[in-house]
Amino acid sequence: MENFNDDLYPLALLMDELKHDDVSNRVQAMQKVDTIAMALGPERTINELLPFLNDVAQDDEEEVFAVLATKLGDFIPLIGGHQNCEPLIQILLHLAPIEEPIVRDKAIASLNNISTELTNEEVFEIFLPIIRDLSQGNWFSKRIASCGLYKSVVVRVEAPVRQELLALFLKLVTDDGPMVRRSAATNLPAIINKLTDFTGIDANDPNKVTNKDWEIISQMFQSLINDDQDSVKFLSIDVLISILEYFQKIQDQSHNSDFLVNSLKLMSDESWRVRYTAADRFNRIAENFGNEEAKLTKLIEPFISLMKDNEGEVRKAIAKQLPAFCKSLNKYEALKPTILNKILPVVNELSQDPQENVRSSLALNITELSSILSKQSTIDKLLPIFLNMLKDEFPDVRLNIISNLSIVNETIGINLLTTSLLPAITELAQDSKWRVRLAIIEYIPKLADQLGEEFFNKELLTLCLSWLWDSVYAIREASVKNLRKITEIFGSAWADKYIIDKLVSIKNNTHSSTLNNNDNNDDTIHDDNDNDEINIDFASFIIRITCVFALNELIPVLDHQIITEKVLPFLNDLIDDKVPNIRFNLATSYLRISETLAGKQGDSPVIEQNVLKNLDILVNDNDSDVRYFASKSIDSIKELLAV
Amino acid sequence: MDLDTDVPMEDVSDDHSETYQGGAKIDASKSKPSELTGDSVNQLDQWIEKLANCEPLSEQDVKRLCDMAVDVLQFEENVQPVQVPVTICGDVHGQFHDLMELFKIGGPCPDTNYLFMGDYVDRGYYSVETVSFLVCMKVRYPNRITILRGNHESRQITQVYGFYDECLRKYGSANVWKVFTDLFDYFPITALVDNKIFCLHGGLSPMIETIDQVRELNRIQEVPHEGPMCDLLWSDPDDRGGWGISPRGAGFTFGQDISEQFNHTNDLSLIARAHQLVMEGYSWSHQQSVVTIFSAPNYCYRCGNQAAIMEVDEMHNRQFLQYDPSIRPGEPTVTRKTPDYFL
Repeated sequence: MENFNDDLYPLALLMDELKHDDVSNRVQAMQKVDTIAMALGPERTINELLPFLNDVAQDDEEEVFAVLATKLGDFIPLIGGHQNCEPLIQILLHLAPIEEPIVRDKAIASLNNISTELTNEEVFEIFLPIIRDLSQGNWFSKRIASCGLYKSVVVRVEAPVRQELLALFLKLVTDDGPMVRRSAATNLPAIINKLTDFTGIDANDPNKVTNKDWEIISQMFQSLINDDQDSVKFLSIDVLISILEYFQKIQDQSHNSDFLVNSLKLMSDESWRVRYTAADRFNRIAENFGNEEAKLTKLIEPFISLMKDNEGEVRKAIAKQLPAFCKSLNKYEALKPTILNKILPVVNELSQDPQENVRSSLALNITELSSILSKQSTIDKLLPIFLNMLKDEFPDVRLNIISNLSIVNETIGINLLTTSLLPAITELAQDSKWRVRLAIIEYIPKLADQLGEEFFNKELLTLCLSWLWDSVYAIREASVKNLRKITEIFGSAWADKYIIDKLVSIKNNTHSSTLNNNDNNDDTIHDDNDNDEINIDFASFIIRITCVFALNELIPVLDHQIITEKVLPFLNDLIDDKVPNIRFNLATSYLRISETLAGKQGDSPVIEQNVLKNLDILVNDNDSDVRYFASKSIDSIKELLAV
Repeated sequence: MDLDTDVPMEDVSDDHSETYQGGAKIDASKSKPSELTGDSVNQLDQWIEKLANCEPLSEQDVKRLCDMAVDVLQFEENVQPVQVPVTICGDVHGQFHDLMELFKIGGPCPDTNYLFMGDYVDRGYYSVETVSFLVCMKVRYPNRITILRGNHESRQITQVYGFYDECLRKYGSANVWKVFTDLFDYFPITALVDNKIFCLHGGLSPMIETIDQVRELNRIQEVPHEGPMCDLLWSDPDDRGGWGISPRGAGFTFGQDISEQFNHTNDLSLIARAHQLVMEGYSWSHQQSVVTIFSAPNYCYRCGNQAAIMEVDEMHNRQFLQYDPSIRPGEPTVTRKTPDYFL
C-alpha cells in the first residue's frame, strides 16, 4: 500500500474492493463509483477509471452490472461534459444487450439519460449507428435493448432519417420473437407521444410529421392488434390511446371511424388481459370520441358487456370508469335515458357482485353518479344501491361509500340523505371493527358542517359524545379531535352548552362499588346510548383521563371566560388525583391554557395565580414523570410571559 | 412446543455463575437508579421517535441504551410492585407493527401504564426494533412501564428462534445480540399488581409456595434449565390437577388445586401469565384463578389468532381488549376469497 500516493489511493481501493470474493462487497463498492470519479477528476476518470470499468462490465455478476449501469447514467458531469461521452457509451453498450432485464433496463435508461446531454449532431453520429446496429442484432436481447432507445432520437433527426428509423422499428414490431415484439409495443406509445409533442411547435418545419410517418405507424398498430400473443396484443391499447391523442391534437377526425372499429374489437377480445386493459383505460379511449354522439353511442354496448364480464378483474376495472363515462354520455339529451335504463340496472347487479374487490371498487366512486343524475332518479335508483352497499359484509365497501357521501349531499340535499342514511350511520358507528367506527367519526365534521347545528344536536350529538367512552383508545382520540372540529364549526358557545357542561358534570358520576364482570368480550361499544350515564364512572381512570384529553384538545377553541370559569376549576380539582398519569397530563393542559390566554390582556394574573401556583405543587410531586412535565410546562410558560 | 429437544442445552450453572455474581454485586454501591439528565431524556426521545418508525438504532446506540437500561433494571425486584391502573400484555414476538397497534388500542405510553409479560423477541421479523423500543420506553419512563422476562429472553432460545439471526442480518455481527441477551439477565421475572394480581411469563413452580420465596432468588443469570426461576418462565396451567411433566421439556404443568392454593396462600385474586397461543387473545383457566394473555395477533403471520390486552383499573375492574393484526400499507390483504374456479 505504501507504493500508492494519496491520489491513486481511492482508485486502488475501489479496484481492491471490486475484486472482493463476496459479491455483496463488490456491489457496495460499485455504489461508491461516482464518489471515486469525483475524487479523481474528469481527466483521470476518463483515462483510468473508465477503462477499468470497461473491463468490469465484461466480467462480473449481474448485481454489480445493475449498479454500474445505473451509476453511469449520471456520469456526464464527472467526465467533463458531453464531448467526452464515447467511452462511457461503450461501457453501457456492453451492458445493454445483457439478457438479464434488470441490467438491460438500467443500461437503456442511462443511455437515454446521456442522450439528453448530447447535441443533435452527436445524436446523429453516435446514437444512430448504435440503434441501427442493435436493431439488426442477431441475438434477441440486442433487439429488445434497441426498442428502448428510439424515443430519445426520433424527433431529433431530419424527416427522412426519422422515417428510416420508423421503418426499422416496424421490423421490431413484426419480429419473430414475441419478447422483442412485446418490448417494441411497450415502447411505441412513448415514441408516438414524442411525435405528438413535436407536432405543432412549428407548422412550417421541414421535418414536421407527415402521412409518410403515419403510414408506417399504422402498419405497426395493425400488426399489434392482430398479434397472436395476448401478452403483445394488450399493449396495443396504449398504442391506440397515443395515436388517438395525436389526432385529437391536430384536430383530425377523419380516421375516427377506423379507430372506433379497432377499439370495439379490442374491448370484445377473447383474451381477458386485453379486455382488462381496455376496461382499465376505457375513458381514455372514449374521451376521444366525446364530440361525436353516434360514435359514443356505439361504445355503450361494449361498456355494458365489460360490466357483465366473466372475469372479476375486468368488472373491477370497468367499475372505476363508470362515473366518467356516464358524464360523457350525459352531454347528449338523447343518451340520458340510456344511463337510467341500460347502465343503472347493471350497476345494481355489480353492487351485489360475488367478488368483494369488485364491490369495493364500485363503492369507491359510484357516489359520483349522483351529480350526473337528476335528484329524483338519484333518490329512486341510486340511494337504494348506496343503502345496500352500506350494509355490505366487507368493511372496505362500507368505508368507500361513507367516505364519498358528501357528493350525494349536493344533489339530494342533506335532509333526505340523513333520513335514509342516519340508520346506516348509527349502525356503522357501533361496528365491531374499530377502523370502521373510526371512518365514521372522521366523516362526522363534514356532515355537521352541512347539517347545521339544530339537526346535529338532535341526531348526532349523543353519538359523538358516546365515542368518548369507547373501549379502544384510537376511537377515543379520534372522538376528542372530532369534538374540536365540530366546535370550530359551531363555535365556543355551542361547545360550552353541549360539551363542556356535560364533561364537567361527569365529575359527579361515581359509583365505584360496581364490580363489572370481567368475562364479557369488551371490544364492543356501548350499544345503548340511553344508558350512557351509567357506564361513565368518574372513579375510573380511563374516564378521568379522557375528560382531561378532551378539555386539553378543546382549550384553544374555547372562549377565555369558559376556560377560566369551567375548565380551569375542573382541572384544579384533579391536582391531587391519585394516578400520576392524570397529574402529568394536567401539567400539559396548564401549558395549553397559558398559551391560549397569554395573548389576551389582563389574563396574566390567572396564569400567575392559578396555573403557576398549581404547577409549583406538581413540580414537587413524588412521581418523576409528573415533576418532568410540570417543570417543562413552567419553563415554557415563563418564556411566554417574558415575551 | 417451544423447546426443541434437539438443541443441546449448555450447562448454564457452570458457565455463567461467576460472571453473574459479579454483575449482582454492582447493587451494593447504589440503591436506586440515577435520575435521567436532560441530555439523556432528549437522546431517549430521539431514539423512541426513530424506533417508532421501525428503524433500528445503530450498534453504538444499542450499547448506550443497554448500559442505561442496566442502571434501571438492576434495582427492580424479582417481584416488581406495580400500581393500578395498568394494562397487562402478553407475548409480542418481534411483531413490531402489531405492537404499534397495541398502543393504538390501549393508548400511548406514558399516558397509559403498561406491564409486558415477556417474549419480545424471536419468530417475528422485527425483534430488534421491538425489544429496542420497549427497552427505550422502560428507561425513559421507568415508572410507567414494566417489562418482565420471558423464556425467549435467553441466550439459548434466541439462537434457535430468530433473534440471533436477525441481529446478524441487521448489524452484520452478533454484538447487538450479545448486548441485549446480557441485558435480559437483569429483567425482573415477576410483578405484583397492587398486591392482588401476580404476573409472570410462564407459571408456578413446585419449589415456590409463597411470593417471598421468589424474592429470595438470584435472578441475574441466564435462564436455568430447571429450578424455580426456570419454572416461572416455562410452566403452563393444565386441566389435570397437581403437578405434571411439561411437554415443553422445561417447567411443569399445574392444576387448578395448585393455583387456588397459591392464590389463597398469597392473598391473590388472580395469576396473569402469557407464554401460550390462545385463539381469542386471552383465556381463563382454573375457574378464573389464572388468565393467559397473548398479544401477538396472527402469530408468526399465519396462526389467524386474535390478540388481547387486559386493562385493570383502580377498582380492580378488568377489561379485555381484543384486536386483529395491524394493516400495513403495501401489503395485500389476505381476506381475498378463493376464486370461483377453485370451487
